[in-house]
Amino acid sequence: MEKALLYKEWKKTRLFTLGIAIIGIILLGYILLKLGRSFRLAGMEHLWDVIVNRKQFMFRDLKYFPIAAALWLGMAQYFPEVIQKRIKLSLHLPLPEGKVILLMYGYGLGILLGVYLLQLLSLWVFSSINFPYEFTISTFKTLAPWYIAGFITYLFVAMVCLEPVWKRRAFNGLLGIATVYLFFLSDVPSAYQPVIYLLIVTLVAVFPFGFLSVQRFKEGTQD
Amino acid sequence: MQPIVQCKNLTHYYGKRCIYENLNFEIPKGRILGLLGKNGTGKTTTINILNGYLKPRSGECLMFGENSANLSPETKQKVGLLIEGHVQYTLMNIHEIEKYYSAFYPKWKKEAYWELMKLLKIDPKQKLSQMSCGQKSQVALGLILAQDPELLILDDFSMGLDPGYRVLFVDYLSEYARAENKTVFVTSHIIQDMERLIDDCMIMDYGSILYQQPVEKLLNDFKRFRFSGNVQSFDGIEQVIHPVTIKGNTEFYSFEKKDELTRILTYSGFKPTDIKEESLTLEEAFIGLTGKY
Repeated sequence: MEKALLYKEWKKTRLFTLGIAIIGIILLGYILLKLGRSFRLAGMEHLWDVIVNRKQFMFRDLKYFPIAAALWLGMAQYFPEVIQKRIKLSLHLPLPEGKVILLMYGYGLGILLGVYLLQLLSLWVFSSINFPYEFTISTFKTLAPWYIAGFITYLFVAMVCLEPVWKRRAFNGLLGIATVYLFFLSDVPSAYQPVIYLLIVTLVAVFPFGFLSVQRFKEGTQD
Repeated sequence: MQPIVQCKNLTHYYGKRCIYENLNFEIPKGRILGLLGKNGTGKTTTINILNGYLKPRSGECLMFGENSANLSPETKQKVGLLIEGHVQYTLMNIHEIEKYYSAFYPKWKKEAYWELMKLLKIDPKQKLSQMSCGQKSQVALGLILAQDPELLILDDFSMGLDPGYRVLFVDYLSEYARAENKTVFVTSHIIQDMERLIDDCMIMDYGSILYQQPVEKLLNDFKRFRFSGNVQSFDGIEQVIHPVTIKGNTEFYSFEKKDELTRILTYSGFKPTDIKEESLTLEEAFIGLTGKY
């Protein structure tokens, strides 16, 4: 039964999944090629000065990819459920309703994790070869909030789409934008390091919101 | 034997507007019950409460003894649901959607599904999004029949269908339900289709159930009467239902027999000499009970 449900999610999102994976790879490839060009033209000493003394982050171009990918995937997955209230078909399946939503979440978050890992592993390999270990760790500490924001964006998209009332959808959307905005206040390297655990707590706190939307849908809430 | 569906003291409001209060009805096993009513009388509200997609202000609906808002997976397997508009996942073709749903129902009868799909003149790889309303309804019906549920709930099954598909739908559903002793709860605005399908009818009016009995009993008991003459008022004669006078001819409806009606009218001061009694179709009976707009 679970495999069938995941198959349905794949049918809905396969083009978008391939799209964001390819775009993620192309984007990373572009960044790495640009860096390689800087190595050859400006030299490593200049690059090191830029990184250490001027605190420039070399991978800033990745900043909005995680939330864009999450938005894209979330819409592809949940918008079809909203049309003609098709979510009723899934909620009527002979499975606990919480499990149905959890499986849908698991699929989306799993796809995002896969896409992000593909990018981040490639980046890890590149960075390990060309930069010291400390620089690589600092890079990933700087990237972490943006990728956590990606997961939070996905959860908010689910919450907004599954909400039955337009006014509440708008409110949830604004709440989501405000929450995600907090993750982009600074791109100074490792700026979020002191509060990284708080960011993870935020992700955990946002996780149940979609279930609230489904509960309101089930009750037939109109305002 | 416990009814398959029991609704007890259902009360619902949309804001301050009362839809109904203390609504009670049951659906016995093996019966096909049709829910009829004008727009706004609460048919969709009742269906949504029954399906667990609307929480009533008070009261409850039970399906197989369980609250319909919290059915167990085992009970959901016994309930086949057709959503208004024959809603389905349109990104799949007929093979994919059959494979998808068959994974959830151990009693899946694929022969029932493919027997209907043979009648569809489509490319096997054609997605549901590329099919007509009638073709989609056929797929939706096939999926429900293959599920082999004990209770079928069909919300406005004839919506958007041409006469050919409506007849196909009614014929297949009627034969299936009667042969397999299934319980069916159905709504539709096309009462001719309902008449060919249902055993019992439940006619709703604003705020209450007007009538709930077998269709055969309704059509045996409820008649239209006509006589020539102008009548200003039938005040106080509760046996006369929705009287109308047009150009010197009066018609009304009643559950009383003709002889008894004549006696009542004479006693009340009317002298009808040419009362004609007419049998009704279900649609005419529905209009007679609920009144013309």
